[in-house]
Amino acid sequence: MIGLGRLAEDDLPNQKNKGSHYGRYRLVVLGTAFLLLLVTPFVNYYLQQNFVQGWYQSLGIGRLWFVSPLEGLESILLSKSLYWPAIIGMLPPLLIALFLGRVFCSWLCPVTFILEIFDRLRKAFTGKKYIRNTILVAKSVLWFTLIAELLLSMVLGAPVFVVLSPPGLVGREMMMLVFFKTFAFEGVVLVLILCLELLTRRFFCRSFCPLGALLAFIGRKRSLQVTAKSANCTECGRCIRVCPMGLNPQKGEGESAYCWNCGECVDSCRFDALGFSWKKK
Amino acid sequence: MKRRTFLQLLGGGTACLPLLPLLTKPLAASILKSPVTTNRLRPPGAVPEELFPAKCIRCGRCVEVCPYRSITLLDIRAGIHAGTPLIEVENIPCYLCMKCVDVCPTGSLQRIKQTEVRMGLAVINTFYCAAWVGKVMCRTCYDKCPFAEKAIRLDQLRPVVDQSACTGCGLCTYACPVTAADGSKAINIEPLYAREKVTR
Repeated sequence: MIGLGRLAEDDLPNQKNKGSHYGRYRLVVLGTAFLLLLVTPFVNYYLQQNFVQGWYQSLGIGRLWFVSPLEGLESILLSKSLYWPAIIGMLPPLLIALFLGRVFCSWLCPVTFILEIFDRLRKAFTGKKYIRNTILVAKSVLWFTLIAELLLSMVLGAPVFVVLSPPGLVGREMMMLVFFKTFAFEGVVLVLILCLELLTRRFFCRSFCPLGALLAFIGRKRSLQVTAKSANCTECGRCIRVCPMGLNPQKGEGESAYCWNCGECVDSCRFDALGFSWKKK
Repeated sequence: MKRRTFLQLLGGGTACLPLLPLLTKPLAASILKSPVTTNRLRPPGAVPEELFPAKCIRCGRCVEVCPYRSITLLDIRAGIHAGTPLIEVENIPCYLCMKCVDVCPTGSLQRIKQTEVRMGLAVINTFYCAAWVGKVMCRTCYDKCPFAEKAIRLDQLRPVVDQSACTGCGLCTYACPVTAADGSKAINIEPLYAREKVTR
């Protein structure tokens, strides 16, 4: 188990050290995904190899294209016409969100990678693993963000937050740096998110990320869920402390739409009360 | 000052930073104004400017694939057009390789033949053009035009543009040796077709 050396010594009944390491795997996946974004512009610019192209707004691997669901949806809504390559490019992310939920956010998003590294750096400096969440907003603000974003875009006739959506912004900044030796001005948004991270964990991801909101909406009836076995639960509250989304997994909030299946709570649970399960419909 | 107050102020201040450039100009105009003007064009096959900002998802793949680095990416200073591609023809023109069209995932750049590209129309400023003024026998634009004798002909040793064949690629503008005081060339690309209404 991760970081539990001291507390695991407690003499508590029913203790099982099942040792899940989702946190470790997740960091590796996040790092690999981040590395892909980092290396792609260099390969494109200096080696003129276009096999892997783009970032999380549209990623092309050979002839396989991914289109981000939010950006693709906005393109369709605003131009009021269908374009099949875009829709087919949106299918893989849509299916992943439908079955696995918001896993893009917790397992691939470059912003999450930066914030995870930030968490670890803060832990190294202050010794505290988690900060107290000082700004708390209702979780349902997430839906408001999504609706407001779509409406604002449709009024203006341009997908506004496509430019400001942080997952895409990281890739864009890397590309701007490699291609034009400069940063795009909108990168300030990333600095802002990093500042907010000093006050509340994953503040932006929780309630203000339109892409996260859309993925959460698609995956609200997902198959992969964190389920709580109340028989094993001792209500120690560890899972509440580690949850980056501010949920209460021991009360079954891992099955709610807001959970992004990162597995932090499963790692933290010492009594085998939490686990991923595949729900058949 | 408490640490929390300080950090909140810091966060708030950073949040307002992107708004700074907007305050310097009339707000609405600078946000909505299209960047497509003389010698500032969309990549080949682009849908009319009326539709382009709505359709483009700002993924930047056309910029990454362009082998000549002709396509540049706009940032937030371009308002709602931030992240869209733009070709500055007097810096690097479009060589019509059509690679950007192949990778566009949203159909903002549509698949058309090279000869049917209409990024704009080359317009000769006869008050500046060395051949038209009668200074020298310059025919640089005629030599550089990829559709010579079709898009640009010589009429009594002076260049003339045929709008039925000019693709607006900007090779002539890039090559033109005459630069006016305002930075324009003696032959410029006017994005006429970008201003067209969507007919469908």
